[in-house]
Amino acid sequence: MKALAAALLVFVAACGQGRAIFNVDVLSFLSSSDSLKRYSVPGGIPQADSAFARRFYLPPGFGKSAIDSVSATAAASVIDTSGSGSVRFDVFFAKTQAAVFAGTPYVTANSRALVAPDSVALLPPTTVSLADTVFNTDTVWVGVRARISTNIGPNMAGRFRLTTLRLRIVVADKLF
Amino acid sequence: MRTGVVAVALALLVLAPLLPRPANAQFSFDARRYGMGGVSLSRDGNARRYNPAYRAVKNKSHVAGAPRFSIPVPLGLIQFFKDHPINKMSHDPMFSPDSAAFNPIAMMNLVLNPPIFLEVKKAPTPTNDVNFTLGRNQLVIDLGASKVLIPEQDFGLGTTSRLLDAGFGAAGFNVGVMGFIQYDVTFNLDSTLRNFLTKDSTALPNTAYFVNVDGTAQAGFAPTVSYAGRLLRGAGGDDTDDGFYVGGALHYYFGATYARGVGPAGFTTGNPVLGSAPTPLLNGNFYTSRKPFGKGVGGDVGVVWISGPFEVGAGVNDIGAELTWDHTKIQHFFYNTTTKQIVDTVLVTDTTSKTKLPITYIANAALQMGTGTTVGGDVINSGRGTVIHVGAEQRTGPFAIRGGVSRDQRKKMQFGFGGGVRLGPIGLDVGFWTHSNSLSTQRAITMATSISFY
Repeated sequence: MKALAAALLVFVAACGQGRAIFNVDVLSFLSSSDSLKRYSVPGGIPQADSAFARRFYLPPGFGKSAIDSVSATAAASVIDTSGSGSVRFDVFFAKTQAAVFAGTPYVTANSRALVAPDSVALLPPTTVSLADTVFNTDTVWVGVRARISTNIGPNMAGRFRLTTLRLRIVVADKLF
Repeated sequence: MRTGVVAVALALLVLAPLLPRPANAQFSFDARRYGMGGVSLSRDGNARRYNPAYRAVKNKSHVAGAPRFSIPVPLGLIQFFKDHPINKMSHDPMFSPDSAAFNPIAMMNLVLNPPIFLEVKKAPTPTNDVNFTLGRNQLVIDLGASKVLIPEQDFGLGTTSRLLDAGFGAAGFNVGVMGFIQYDVTFNLDSTLRNFLTKDSTALPNTAYFVNVDGTAQAGFAPTVSYAGRLLRGAGGDDTDDGFYVGGALHYYFGATYARGVGPAGFTTGNPVLGSAPTPLLNGNFYTSRKPFGKGVGGDVGVVWISGPFEVGAGVNDIGAELTWDHTKIQHFFYNTTTKQIVDTVLVTDTTSKTKLPITYIANAALQMGTGTTVGGDVINSGRGTVIHVGAEQRTGPFAIRGGVSRDQRKKMQFGFGGGVRLGPIGLDVGFWTHSNSLSTQRAITMATSISFY
């Protein structure tokens, strides 16, 4: 992947003042076990997290490049099969694994109060961050978290499915 | 290493439009030549280099009022050092690969197009956005207008140079030694890669995308016996250059060293197309001479006919120049997908191989039409394609105007125009010349300036 990315950058360098726009389908690089999480949280728990973090490679030139903007688009669905509560959906990006869930999420959405057998789509708006320094690196970590809050009562169980996770990274120039 | 293999291969691909064409056919420090589209109306330079018959012709210009020599006025360097001060060069992003502003394309352009003269119109490079769509199942590259940069045919660089040509002789015969260096690298995009970059834009799974590379470099020296003389005298008699001249040279080549590499370089996609890292593709042979003195015989021939205001000549170099290398090692290089390393194995330790020096040639003609008008043209092939120059000069008193056209090695028409003024023993010449050496489909214009001494 790094080799391919490096080769791609050669083309970008040939394009004068033009921008390089990388549309990355991050979801497609995740495993099915990452994109679909089953949960079962006892009732009355104010906060339980189901999360994962994965590293993926960016073209080497990103480490020296000026990132014009990063747009993150994500969507998820929650199917509540038992119990009641709510789910908050967060997507993070960070340079290191330790920092993945420490910062402010790029994308976030809250479900309404769920009662089985509710099924709800979480469709947060696309966020745009300008001059993003997180992506001034060759590798970046992506973290997806479902933060579950349950009401007093039976276990809240169900499925959380990540349905969309895309990045649009606009690099101004000078990728080398 | 994987990064390097693919990146270098594609870098060369992108750089194709600016790779150097044999420069000696077009590059000069003489503004007068720029103004005439690259044609040289003098008997030095290319004429004497490629046509052995010119050794018998007096080394003077046949252009009335032509200078003894010219030196360039490097306005381009002034601008360059203004933009890149010497005392700040260590921090100049252009020369600092660690800088975010470092751009190897610009650096390469600088090397291939030295800023001796002023670039009055820079060739615009495509400024469109380039879109990459990356997913486990897809790799789409939309180069937009930059697709025009992808070469449709073979491309490369190479030339044959004679770095040394010394000797002595009498009565037209000459004995000496000639040093030579020749290199040629050709790149050819596989049709799959070309279609991917220019048409489909979508990479297929389990598909190899590669560039075929064939490069040779060799150098050595050649003891030479040559003859140049005037066989027939013209109507003008001995006081003029009129006559028919012939020249020939026989070379016994001693190759000092050579190397050749042949094979594809690229990458192979996975299935799904980006389900795994694309595998570098490298699979070629490398030939090297283990001992010096590859041997061969070749020759040059040339003729010149001068009749009053008319002059025509033709010369061919390195005819039949094939060198036999008795001690050649052949290695096979390939990328091992298991160990993820480039592996080389020796196929043959010591064998015989042959290389050729490309035939180079020139044909030139000039005519003084009277009233200060001179027209001329030449056709030169210095090893990688033919360049044609046609130009004219009109002198009126101390003034001169010039114009010309040329067809470069990319078969693109180029244009030159200019003028000059002579004030006593010193003259100032200006020439404008279009060229397409830059990374662009459009022409740039260079303004050359030089001072001539009469």
